[in-house]
Amino acid sequence: MFKDIFNLALLQHTIRTATPLILAAMGGLLTQEAGILNIGLEGMILLGAFFGVVGSFFFGTSAMGVGFAVLSGIIIGLIFAFFVIDLKSDEFVIGIAINMFAGGLTVFLLRSIFGVKGAFSSPKIIALPRINIPILDKIPILNTLLNNHTIFVYVSWILVVLIYIYLYKTAQGRWLRASGEYPEALETAGISPRKMKYIASIMCGILCGLAGAHLSLGYLKLFTEQMSANRGFIAMAAIIFGGGNPIRTALAALLFGFFDALGIRLQAVGIPSQITQMIPYGATVVALVVMTKRKINQTRVKREQINE
Amino acid sequence: MKLVTKERKEYLISLSLSIIISLLMGGVIMLINGKSPIVGYGALLDGAFGSKFKIANTLAKTAPLVMTGLATAIAFNSGISNIGGEGQLYLGAFAAALSGIYLSFLPKSISIIAVILIAGIVGGLYAFIPGILKVKFKVNEVVTTIMFNTIAILFTSYLVNNPFATSDSKMSGTDIIASSFQLDKLVSLTTLNSSIYYVALIVILMYYLMNKTSNGYEFKMVGQNGLFAKYGGVKSGKTMMIAMVISGAICGITGAFEVIGVHYRFLEKISPELAFDGMLVALVVKNNPIGIVAMGLFFAAMKTGSIYMETATGIPSELVKVIQAVIILFIAGENGFKSIYINWKLNRESIKEEN
Repeated sequence: MFKDIFNLALLQHTIRTATPLILAAMGGLLTQEAGILNIGLEGMILLGAFFGVVGSFFFGTSAMGVGFAVLSGIIIGLIFAFFVIDLKSDEFVIGIAINMFAGGLTVFLLRSIFGVKGAFSSPKIIALPRINIPILDKIPILNTLLNNHTIFVYVSWILVVLIYIYLYKTAQGRWLRASGEYPEALETAGISPRKMKYIASIMCGILCGLAGAHLSLGYLKLFTEQMSANRGFIAMAAIIFGGGNPIRTALAALLFGFFDALGIRLQAVGIPSQITQMIPYGATVVALVVMTKRKINQTRVKREQINE
Repeated sequence: MKLVTKERKEYLISLSLSIIISLLMGGVIMLINGKSPIVGYGALLDGAFGSKFKIANTLAKTAPLVMTGLATAIAFNSGISNIGGEGQLYLGAFAAALSGIYLSFLPKSISIIAVILIAGIVGGLYAFIPGILKVKFKVNEVVTTIMFNTIAILFTSYLVNNPFATSDSKMSGTDIIASSFQLDKLVSLTTLNSSIYYVALIVILMYYLMNKTSNGYEFKMVGQNGLFAKYGGVKSGKTMMIAMVISGAICGITGAFEVIGVHYRFLEKISPELAFDGMLVALVVKNNPIGIVAMGLFFAAMKTGSIYMETATGIPSELVKVIQAVIILFIAGENGFKSIYINWKLNRESIKEEN
């Protein structure tokens, strides 16, 4: 039985389940760095999943599906930014409202556009293309593990590196981080923190849209009600776990994807999956306590040094 | 204290505007779908209040929204954000079901009070953890309570599917609770039950707690201005903790009422995000207890009405969720919209003066 659970397919499954988590976590990380705690990731993913199906179904190509998902991401990112940044609304109220809005709107549209309740699938929905890397074909283990995934799996890995470079090696990335931590200083330097926060929110919407498109067009080719299934909150957990670093956040998302994949396999052999599913949330609370404590200690040390 | 202050008047205007605009948007969506908004909203209204049964169902849906709304309000007014209501509700509900199964020897005279106390303690304790983490270690309670929600939902899901699964059917639920723990239905064929009396009592208690006592004064001071309250000698940490535990207890009791009043057992998905809905109710009325009752009734009426609207006109019931979300967005942006309006007015006046 052990071999039925812990095998190569588990790791392959992990890579698959972690992809939407990585994408959404990268988006949430950008807003987090710009000083906004976005708990609307869940709703943004859901919208992306739905509009991905809409685009793919009506235009017959997965590219249009992705296009629609990205567009929905841009729009919801703009709405989020407008309320949080310009209207100075409470960010988590807006986040919750977005989750509620997405939950209601997708089901409403599911029924008024496709006339179905619960789930919609159709052969007319075109899935994301799978990528075959010819060199890997000849390497047995790596082939099963890394080859023939949908394009978003590889895109998500590239994005992690790009976002790392963006945040830490480019001027705009530094401004974006400063807009969260030292907005006044940024303002004095002549750069608008408002603009940086807008950029972060819109990119977050796009990345969550991609995460959603991966869910609905990646392997299953269907949309179901509440398809995001808490992934937005797991992504948030990964961001906190990763302590603001894109690489560590992606690794945390991979780890959480592993527990998710493991849970599904355990369930198949009759072991309750809830316990493994709980691990990401519990671990995040512990990590948050440890990190907050460390941060407080650091500021105390700094203050003492200044006082001396 | 004047009941209708300038601030409140302005707020009521914004609230009415938000609701009207959101309903108009809903009407436009109905039109796009080829349905008449008048027929649609007519059916909604009829579905919410059209008969004794419909009114009873609306009232039954109002109760949990008001409860979780009040739970949100007391926490937020004290400066601590309890987003963990859903988790506290699930644990309270599960504790209530276990009490109803294992304490079945208790006579009815004390069983109900016992179950309310137990669920309240369980919910309160579950809120205590993020509360103490916030007060002692400054750990962001928004994040911890969100995580705690899912942990509680998964944990009860594990319990109800494994050690405590009922043997009499394949549903994910516990056994039926003893009859001494079941609250009477007030109108047959509806979910309205005598928990509504306890809810009314809790509303009155909370109103006094938040408005008339010195504790309530402290709750509000800490919420509105953490710094000021500290200098004024109010212990904000302690107040936050008390508020958080009361908030969790009310959510736990809400869960208990779902078990002893509606389902008579714990079910895996017993709450369709009731605590989230209640939280939004509280946020729309800025945590005012009387407002929570009124807005809770309004949201509940839309909920029951929408189901009838769907069967009568074919307009999907989820439309009201969209409308409610838009109301919340408008209210959350209220101050921002107001300042945009004031700026626009000033601009126009200055242009006039120039001319």
